[in-house]
Amino acid sequence: MRNRIRELRAVKNLSQLELARKVGVRRETIVFLEKNKYNPSLKLAYDIAREFGLSIEEVFIFDDNR
Amino acid sequence: MKNPIIIFVINALILLALILWIFKVPTAGNIQEILMIGGVLLLVGFATFIGISRLKSAMRKEPLEDELSKSVMTKASSLSFYISIYFWLVMMYFSDRISLESPSLIGAGILGMALIFFISWIGVKLFGMKHA
Repeated sequence: MRNRIRELRAVKNLSQLELARKVGVRRETIVFLEKNKYNPSLKLAYDIAREFGLSIEEVFIFDDNR
Repeated sequence: MKNPIIIFVINALILLALILWIFKVPTAGNIQEILMIGGVLLLVGFATFIGISRLKSAMRKEPLEDELSKSVMTKASSLSFYISIYFWLVMMYFSDRISLESPSLIGAGILGMALIFFISWIGVKLFGMKHA
């Protein structure tokens, strides 16, 4: 699963720490998500998508390549 | 804020016990004891690193733990438990070849399990939790 967090954060001019605070996680979690090293829970994915005013599918792209 | 303080207090107690052990108990200073002291110091360093990172999170007003940190701990724990079973098998196999008394052997086993957890934690952090 890929995501567009870095790109959307740049558009909204949000730092990793600001986004982390808004969705209630540590900055490290945002770093892991942006590096595609962690698949978030449904709740966190929903919170992040809501923060950008988008749907989960628009932020997180399911990639079937294993 | 309470969490990092507890980590630092436990670390200080472990260091104190280690210092007392080194200076009060007449030891031969052989390679096994040096390895044990090294292992304990490595674990104290690891716990200090965790404590400092949690202290930094508290100062940045972030949660001390979140879903990623809990997942990393869970994954590292399960992985280290799995590896520890084989570690104990190896320890049992070599127990008659090592000149350690039973309490020291058990102590070395527990220390080994802690070191396996430390290595598992680094591995999970390094390779991520993508397929968890």
